[in-house]
Amino acid sequence: MMPIWTKSGTKHAVTLLKVQDCHVLRYISKEESGGKISKLLVGGKNASPFSKSESAMEIFKEAGVPRKQKVTTFNVTDDAIIKPGTPLYAAHFRPGQFVDVTAKTIGKGFQGVMKRWGFKGQPASHGQTKTHRRPGAISTNKAAKVYRGKKMPGKMGNIYRTSFGLKVWRINTKHDIIYVNGSVPGHTNCLVKVKDSILPTYKDCNKNPPFPTFFADGDEKLPEDLYDEEIFQFTDPSLTYA
Amino acid sequence: FSSSSYRISSDGKPAKFQPPPKPVIIDKQKQREERRFLSPEFIPPRGRTDPLKFSIERKDMIQRRKVFNIPEFYVGSVLAVTTADPYANEKANRFVGICVQRGGKGLGATFILRNVIEDQGVEICYELYNPRIQAIEVLKLEKRLDDNLMYLRDALPEYSTFDVNMKPVSRLDHEEIPVNKLQVRMKPKPWSKRWERPKYNIKGIKFELPEKKMKEAQKWSQPWLEFDMLREYDTSKIEEKIWKEVSEELKK
Repeated sequence: MMPIWTKSGTKHAVTLLKVQDCHVLRYISKEESGGKISKLLVGGKNASPFSKSESAMEIFKEAGVPRKQKVTTFNVTDDAIIKPGTPLYAAHFRPGQFVDVTAKTIGKGFQGVMKRWGFKGQPASHGQTKTHRRPGAISTNKAAKVYRGKKMPGKMGNIYRTSFGLKVWRINTKHDIIYVNGSVPGHTNCLVKVKDSILPTYKDCNKNPPFPTFFADGDEKLPEDLYDEEIFQFTDPSLTYA
Repeated sequence: FSSSSYRISSDGKPAKFQPPPKPVIIDKQKQREERRFLSPEFIPPRGRTDPLKFSIERKDMIQRRKVFNIPEFYVGSVLAVTTADPYANEKANRFVGICVQRGGKGLGATFILRNVIEDQGVEICYELYNPRIQAIEVLKLEKRLDDNLMYLRDALPEYSTFDVNMKPVSRLDHEEIPVNKLQVRMKPKPWSKRWERPKYNIKGIKFELPEKKMKEAQKWSQPWLEFDMLREYDTSKIEEKIWKEVSEELKK
């Protein structure tokens, strides 16, 4: 995570996400997926092909791509279908866009009710016998049962969670890095899924995104760094208030 | 060149030949090169972050340094910082103080300046790479016996007062940075932190506590810490590489 300053002098914290060897693996049409939307399987970081069975490696062989560590599905409209085997780059996103980031949260193991659900526990002294971090009562007398989903101790973390509506501040096309506002679930160097935002406020935010994606061998030659309009670039002199 | 070898002294006998003193050659270029200063925020901390992140951050830091001069300074030097302030009279704010602490790594590096203004101690934490900073001047470049001068909060206020209109102290380029071996006198206890304890390892305080208290403070010493191999972080090679990279980029 890094600080970033805007032209008005405010500081924002930014997370760097690297797009590492992403390829489209397979196209699943509407009829195959049994619904109303077609899907695209996308694979992430390269990994060794020796620890998986032959049947699992079939998808990668068809697409002509080395084995990927993570495979995710993206729901796509019919006009955005991409041929399997095309590489995906960070330039697919542009500064000023809003993005949702999904990842597995940091696993905390088996945790008690105070850390997992934020319960208040009991006082440390004044006669409490062996009860300082326990949940206390778990149901009422009339119910005569414990409801499903009762907050109780258990394994915490290591589940998929999403941060919605994160602004993209800057894109580095040389190293394929996306600078995304705020924090993102997961530990450092974990695998993360980045999608266009589904929030209704940002529905009309993408003015001219590269559609269906940014092709490296196309005609567009992008500069090494793409900045949002409001970012203070370090090539400018110090800020002054007129 | 010729030298006359006969001089008649006051006795009338010829004086012994005194060879001329050997000339002392000060090679200023070499001395400047020998003294390398790499700002501490360039050295990456120990962790599992990708080195690519540090190299990208370094590029940004070097870019800022090309446009705006961040001078060399240490904890204990007196600095004057002018920041852009929308609510100030001239839209700029000047603060003079002694650098008490340098923290943070990369673009978020900070330094705290302390001064006593009208009997009120003031500490301001500035970010080195904040674009609102318009000028950083080093009024007095010197080092102190410690890396962290937070104990000045519990020292007598005369040790933290610096004249706001102080003139910069001139010094030659090739001289070594002077170490001010000042031992500071403290206000009576209680202090904000127990500075006499060995964990702070402070050398710049003149402790006027009774012997018994000093001995009791040594109970909290952890003599095994300096031998702990897992805590070792040898930065010499990393520093060399980064120094080369930074100096080459800044020369361009």
